[in-house]
Amino acid sequence: MFLTRLKAILWLHTLRLWRYKWSFLNMVLSYAAWIFLFILGALLFVPGEYLDIAVKAAFWTIVAWNIISMFSSLIGGWMHFFISLGMVEEHILRGISPFKTVLGRVIPSFSIITASLLFIAAILNGVFKTNVLQVGDPLLLIFAFLLLVVEGLAYGLTIAAISMKTSIPHNMLEILNFVVIGLLMVPAHSLPEVIRVAYLCIPYVAPAHLAKIATSLDMPILFGEALTISIIEALIMSIIALYTIKSSEKWIKKNGVRAIGFW
Amino acid sequence: MGLKTLLKSGVILDLYLYKNNRGAFISMLLWPYLMLSLMLGMGILFGSPEAFRENIGLQVDPIIYFVASTLITMASLDVMWGVGGNVLFHRWIGTLPYILLSPNKTSLTLVFTYIPRYLLTAFIQIAEFAPLILIIEGPIQGLYKIGILIIAVTVGMLPLLGFSALFASLLLTIKEETNVLSWLNPIILLFSGAFYPAYLLPHWARLISQLLPSTYTIELARTAALIGAPKLANITFLIGILMGIALVYNMLAYLVVDIGEKKAMKAGAI
Repeated sequence: MFLTRLKAILWLHTLRLWRYKWSFLNMVLSYAAWIFLFILGALLFVPGEYLDIAVKAAFWTIVAWNIISMFSSLIGGWMHFFISLGMVEEHILRGISPFKTVLGRVIPSFSIITASLLFIAAILNGVFKTNVLQVGDPLLLIFAFLLLVVEGLAYGLTIAAISMKTSIPHNMLEILNFVVIGLLMVPAHSLPEVIRVAYLCIPYVAPAHLAKIATSLDMPILFGEALTISIIEALIMSIIALYTIKSSEKWIKKNGVRAIGFW
Repeated sequence: MGLKTLLKSGVILDLYLYKNNRGAFISMLLWPYLMLSLMLGMGILFGSPEAFRENIGLQVDPIIYFVASTLITMASLDVMWGVGGNVLFHRWIGTLPYILLSPNKTSLTLVFTYIPRYLLTAFIQIAEFAPLILIIEGPIQGLYKIGILIIAVTVGMLPLLGFSALFASLLLTIKEETNVLSWLNPIILLFSGAFYPAYLLPHWARLISQLLPSTYTIELARTAALIGAPKLANITFLIGILMGIALVYNMLAYLVVDIGEKKAMKAGAI
């Protein structure tokens, strides 16, 4: 039964990805164009001799931000659509958690992130004659991004669960995403020593710091601290997501779906 | 139904839109500063204002440069989504057939109901940036530069309206409209030199940028970023170009929207 349900969820999202192929292509193109637009502007401040380092730094910061924002908007934001279709009640009646179906959004999210980032990397490599994909420690980078994915996913599911009970202003989430990118840009070594660990405790910052170490864009300071904080943070965020989901499911069974979602 | 009625309906629609969507109104106020902080933050973190001036090849203030860029980027996006995207909005809510059947031409309805919103949004954003400009430039220079930005958003709007109405006619006839509009907008801004000056783009890209009205609007707004008082001759030259392009694009829109409308009605696409 579990495998049949899993197969159905995977099939649903893969099929939707294929059917909305123009939408997929549009997202890849528009993400790449927006990111390129901002990177070009920021690179105007960079002296020619440091351009390749700056391009790489901007690229990996944006990758990290993209993972966070994509998982929160594509997974959390999809709840609005799911609620509008009346699918939450359908799923509950058939004994399957609607959140498991929403979790399947990992497929389109991951596909869009991968395609758009490879596209951006190709553009940046071509324009700035560099190789943004060349990293010092690929294994650490993958691990750091896995932790970011777990944190982003937990956040996306938490807001999706909250949106069952109350409205979530979508604009405010976008603004929050902007704040996150600002935080991710700051190199830990540029901060006073006393506040470095506190800075790493901000959600997403510790795994992003690990990614910066892996790409040799930041000094390998506070590695152990960043690793420990990242793992603990990912666990805490996952527990919060699970708790919010359980509480939302209980609430829906008692009160019904308020059909609010994102707006 | 006269043009005055169309303008009035646009004003009332906007006032109620802001009144009933306070979250959207607050985020509209926050967005320009967020975009500006992102650009300046990334720039200063990776480089320096001196390197910026060297790369640009002009004596400009980076803050005013990005204030002008952000303002025109937001205004251009607003026009492209506001006129072009309005067709989609009306199609989704089912009011497009009423607009097509109304006595006014569709292009006129789309443009004239939109103008109040554009002016309101653009002036709110200028007012938001005004204190920052006045602090950096001082009262007299600051007011002069705010004046340039006001001219850029008002005169620059004229060709953009025609350009976007052309977009709207394209959207009337094609499928997957949102998917076209979403990626086309940042690409147009990229070629227009929204954050990265068009004159630094490769030759082939510069040819495209010369055809886009937003390129000249951005150029005009950016004269405000020059250190000291910008030359009046440059400003009047850019205004002249914008007026000329406005005439061409609006005449084209006047002709083409009709064709798009008829085609869409024939194909039952509405």
